[in-house]
Amino acid sequence: MSHTDTTTEATEATETTEMTDRTEPGDDARGHDTDAKIHATDLRVGYPGLEEPVVDTETLVVPEGEVTALVGPNGSGKSTLLKALARHLDAEAGEVLIDGREIAAFGSKEFARELGMLSQHGSTPDGITVEELVGHGRYPYKGFLDGRTEDDREAIERAISLAGIEHLRGTDVGSLSGGQRQLVRIAMALAQETDTLLLDEPTTYLDLRHQLQVMEVIRTLNEERGVTVCIVLHDLTQAARFADYLVALRDGDIYDWGRPEDVVTEELLAEVFGVEATVEYGSEPRITPKRALE
Amino acid sequence: MDVSSRSVEAYARLDSRDRRLASLVVGSVVVAFVAAFVQVSQGSYPTPLGTTFDVLTDPRILFDADVWAAILTGSDFPDWLSQSAIIVWSLRMPRVFIAALVGVNLSISGAVFQAVTRNELASPYILGVSGGAGLAVLVTLVFFTGASYVLPFAAALGGLVAFALVYAIAWQGGTNPVRLVLAGVVVATVFQSLQTGLFYFLDSTAVVKTAIAWTTGSLTGVGWAQFRLAIVPTLLVVPLLLLASRHLNVLLLGEETARSLGMPVEYVRFGLSTLAILAAATAVAVAGLVGFVGLVVPHAVRTAVGSDYRRLVVGSLFLGPALVLVADVVARLALMPIQVPVGVVTGVIGGPYFLYLMRRHGDFSEF
Repeated sequence: MSHTDTTTEATEATETTEMTDRTEPGDDARGHDTDAKIHATDLRVGYPGLEEPVVDTETLVVPEGEVTALVGPNGSGKSTLLKALARHLDAEAGEVLIDGREIAAFGSKEFARELGMLSQHGSTPDGITVEELVGHGRYPYKGFLDGRTEDDREAIERAISLAGIEHLRGTDVGSLSGGQRQLVRIAMALAQETDTLLLDEPTTYLDLRHQLQVMEVIRTLNEERGVTVCIVLHDLTQAARFADYLVALRDGDIYDWGRPEDVVTEELLAEVFGVEATVEYGSEPRITPKRALE
Repeated sequence: MDVSSRSVEAYARLDSRDRRLASLVVGSVVVAFVAAFVQVSQGSYPTPLGTTFDVLTDPRILFDADVWAAILTGSDFPDWLSQSAIIVWSLRMPRVFIAALVGVNLSISGAVFQAVTRNELASPYILGVSGGAGLAVLVTLVFFTGASYVLPFAAALGGLVAFALVYAIAWQGGTNPVRLVLAGVVVATVFQSLQTGLFYFLDSTAVVKTAIAWTTGSLTGVGWAQFRLAIVPTLLVVPLLLLASRHLNVLLLGEETARSLGMPVEYVRFGLSTLAILAAATAVAVAGLVGFVGLVVPHAVRTAVGSDYRRLVVGSLFLGPALVLVADVVARLALMPIQVPVGVVTGVIGGPYFLYLMRRHGDFSEF
């Protein structure tokens, strides 16, 4: 019985926070001049053969030059939302603007020069070198017959050095560990040299060291090149520590969004993740899960 | 310094794969020439090796307009040719050329389908071609007896129709490799059953043998007419697929990655499949359903040069003809005077090759 009470209270509490938190990104507490890089309105996304849309949300803003993390439990629609932003899925309704322009209006290669997406699943064929794989990131810059140019070589070089995989350059991709492979895939996305990069759970299944390496690469990319990042993260603590903004999803709708310290609350954990937990903020957010709620 | 020494290392690695490709190409060419020479000199009227060599290199024949006309337009060979020259040039040579074309078409078709379906065990027949072509041949033999000259067109058309059907079944606002392969299984299964049923309507052993020759793949009795039929689509498809190898490489990264890189995946996949089906249909039209070539050749090339399609397609272009030529020599000469369909031989060679791979890799899960 007491669970129910907590939940109701939490809902009320959240409704109020939602009201106050949903401010325009321009009114950012840090005073950053942040415009929306990606702006989605009345978005509804589903899969063929499913009656109900998986994502159905009013407004999503990905602020320019910041790192935004999408968080939520399994099945909350994080990956689906990301796929819709990357044009991997066509939205049933609503519009997505990037720099104020409808994403459907871009040509496919033009779009790939604007926005990169690192999918969760991707295969890396054996029998090619790391450098060759990273080189595929230059695909959107090429016509049907174009060869590799000096620009391509420089972009590949920058991507390899930013991802910190210089030592793997000539290695067969098939002989890499899972963590190395992920860094190589990131380097391929970096070689695309886009202003926006979307990443779908890039750290899942990686050991701790490679998780940190991946996150560092993304941080550097954001800070040094001003790339707007939108990333799906499984681990809420990691997301809270790493991202400038959090977007919490529940059942395909945005439950809350804002600064991590505003979004990650005990109510959020109960309401969205179904977990009773304590949240403390010292120099870093600390989430201590207690038990699963009914 | 560090960076440059590393790139040198990278080039050294590149070189090793290019070197392997070069040896593969040279080896295939040598094997193909030896097989072709055996094929044109041996048979029920064996011509001595010296005579064969003279006939093949005689400039009076090689640069004769009438001989070229006979090959390219189907007019009669000139009367002044010796009997050996006639046998070599009008009976045995076309078979060699057609075997090479069949090898080219099946192996690059297989290479493309292995990328399109992202399944290294895919063959040119994976999207229903075999079922469609086989059924069309049987329908022709049962209902249009005597119209054997339409068989090549019926086979190719049947294959193309089956492919279209597979694509239509797999299409649901887009498609993906798994759905395509499953739809291929559906269509092939139904067509194969109908085809087997139709065998019972064939009334003579000769027609049954024709049917078997088509459904297992045979080069018995082919002439320059079949060469003329196959060369045009081959000259169209091969250069296009060579150019498309970079796109095949990107397709190999998975659908989502290819899309993120700005590839219009559905168009590219359909376009490449269509080209590969054209190649397969070309081979089927002149030789029937020769098995295993399209499966084994890209596989063997991949183990030698890696999965970069810029090398894989080139390697397949050379190894394919070599394999079919050797297989056809065996099919025609090993059990003289009886000729077996070349598809029987490619199957007998192809099966053990996979056994060898199984032994070497332990299992197929690593592919």
